[in-house]
Amino acid sequence: MIKLSDVSVVYRKGEENEKCALKNATLQISQGDFVIIVGPNGAGKSTLMKVLLCELAPTVGTYYLNGKSMRGFSVTQVARWVGRVFQDPNSGIFPDLSILENLSIASKKGVRWLRFRSCPQKAVSLLSLLGLGLEKNLNTRAGDLSGGQKQALAMIMAIISDPKVLLLDEHTASLDPKSSVKVMELTRQINEQFGITVVMITHNMPFAEQYGNRKWKIEEGEVYEYEYRPPVCLTRSENPFPLVGDQRRCAPKCV
Amino acid sequence: MLGIVEQGLILGLMSIGVFISFRIVNMADLTVDGTFALGGALCVRLFSLGLNAPVSLLLSLLAGAGAGILTGFLHRKLKINVLLAGILVMTMLYSINLRIMNGPNLPIPKTSVSASLGTFEQVAGKDPLADLFEPSAPVAAPQKEIAKHRTFENIFLGTADGQDLLLLSAIVLICVALTGLFLRTELGTALRGFGTNPSGLESFGLPKTLMTLLGLGLANAFVSLSGGIFALYSGFADVTMGQGMIVTGLAVVMLGEILFVRRKLVYGIFAPILGGIVYQGILAVVMRYGYRIGFRASDMKLLTALFIVAVIGFGLIQTKKRMKGKFRLSTIFGGGVGRD
Repeated sequence: MIKLSDVSVVYRKGEENEKCALKNATLQISQGDFVIIVGPNGAGKSTLMKVLLCELAPTVGTYYLNGKSMRGFSVTQVARWVGRVFQDPNSGIFPDLSILENLSIASKKGVRWLRFRSCPQKAVSLLSLLGLGLEKNLNTRAGDLSGGQKQALAMIMAIISDPKVLLLDEHTASLDPKSSVKVMELTRQINEQFGITVVMITHNMPFAEQYGNRKWKIEEGEVYEYEYRPPVCLTRSENPFPLVGDQRRCAPKCV
Repeated sequence: MLGIVEQGLILGLMSIGVFISFRIVNMADLTVDGTFALGGALCVRLFSLGLNAPVSLLLSLLAGAGAGILTGFLHRKLKINVLLAGILVMTMLYSINLRIMNGPNLPIPKTSVSASLGTFEQVAGKDPLADLFEPSAPVAAPQKEIAKHRTFENIFLGTADGQDLLLLSAIVLICVALTGLFLRTELGTALRGFGTNPSGLESFGLPKTLMTLLGLGLANAFVSLSGGIFALYSGFADVTMGQGMIVTGLAVVMLGEILFVRRKLVYGIFAPILGGIVYQGILAVVMRYGYRIGFRASDMKLLTALFIVAVIGFGLIQTKKRMKGKFRLSTIFGGGVGRD
């Protein structure tokens, strides 16, 4: 489904302060995978996300989606297959518009014309999945919802038009613990119930342990895939290295 | 009184353009000063060339949309800041307007249809005395020649019987209704979404460039149309007629929003119309009685700009009041935003 072949991203190439943000990453994600990506700040997680969203073209290497090279594709073109939700709850919704209008915009991908807007029944039934009662207040301004509700709405909007992949960049970071768990459960549901591939960046280690069937770690632009093994002797709070496990280096070579 | 409402409606129509760029698309577009004069100049020029008023207005509207699209293009494709792009296009339009009018101003020709039919020879295609000596069958009049000299009547009569008001009201209502309907469509909803979260819209497959061009094109189409209407209404176009229009338009939008804050009719498009009438009323009162306190007509721009500053300042105080739960005098007399 998603394949990165020897992808490297170099910022300010040829300049004194050149930075290799992603080093020869060779990865493959299959349909229905739930990939968790962890790593320290500045490691290259967001760069990888930008490559997957076609916001950034790889300096070297090729990004394939459904077997097709994405070189030359724009964010709006790749949006047909990829949904995204970011950290800021306001970034995935249109705060000044009503919930209904938000769903109406999200229910279609690509350029639209002068047809009167409508909200498909599917959008409302997806909204009722949340159990937040939003489907009863469709005319409420989206900006008036709580952070958790906004993020849940953003996720529903991202999957209405059946994307193949859902990219989540620290989408629970600005939520309180209770809302975070709800949003994570919704993420799991989206992955399991609708079969949508999920790629999620997080700094929340308990979530990284609990969710996802594949786990990646990025350090200084290098991507490792590892298997998480719950510690036997130590309790979670005692374990200083919760990510210790079998680490397989994907492509350690720099450009 | 009629004149105030009529001018207020024209101002309101112009302010719909400002409302679209500032409130819906969320872009500070300064092209407005140029497009208002462009609408007036082009409309009067086309009208004096023999096109009828509605067609002249329609072409002015399209020219205004083109100017807005150019600003959007400079902003999106050449990555020029939208303020600078607006100023650049406004500056270009100053020269273009002078070219269109072939001078700094252009009056609407006073000729009527009958007065401009041309000479007998042009109409009949023969000498008037020819039949006296050699009777012949009538010759068909050369229609093209007649059309060339034909001039249409101005749609605004300048009478105080309310006909102009009726016409202006109809134009404004049609514009508001069409814009309201447009904003209900999928594309219109997306345009409103673009103003509130431009990057978010990209993730639903809508390019920012398209929405910028659409928004600025639509906004300047309204401004240009109102410029054309203003020129026909007042009987002339002037290259400086758009000077300060952006500030006036913004003041009108804010005035409308303050007065009709709880009634968001047709996505708030009605607010600029009503704001325009109120603004024109205030202007008339100030002009009439202002001299008693030493006020001059030229001070109006200063007052308008101060009004905008006051509205923004008042809005800030209201926000702080909501955030702190109670109003503090320190918000006015010190302890500004930076200190909190």
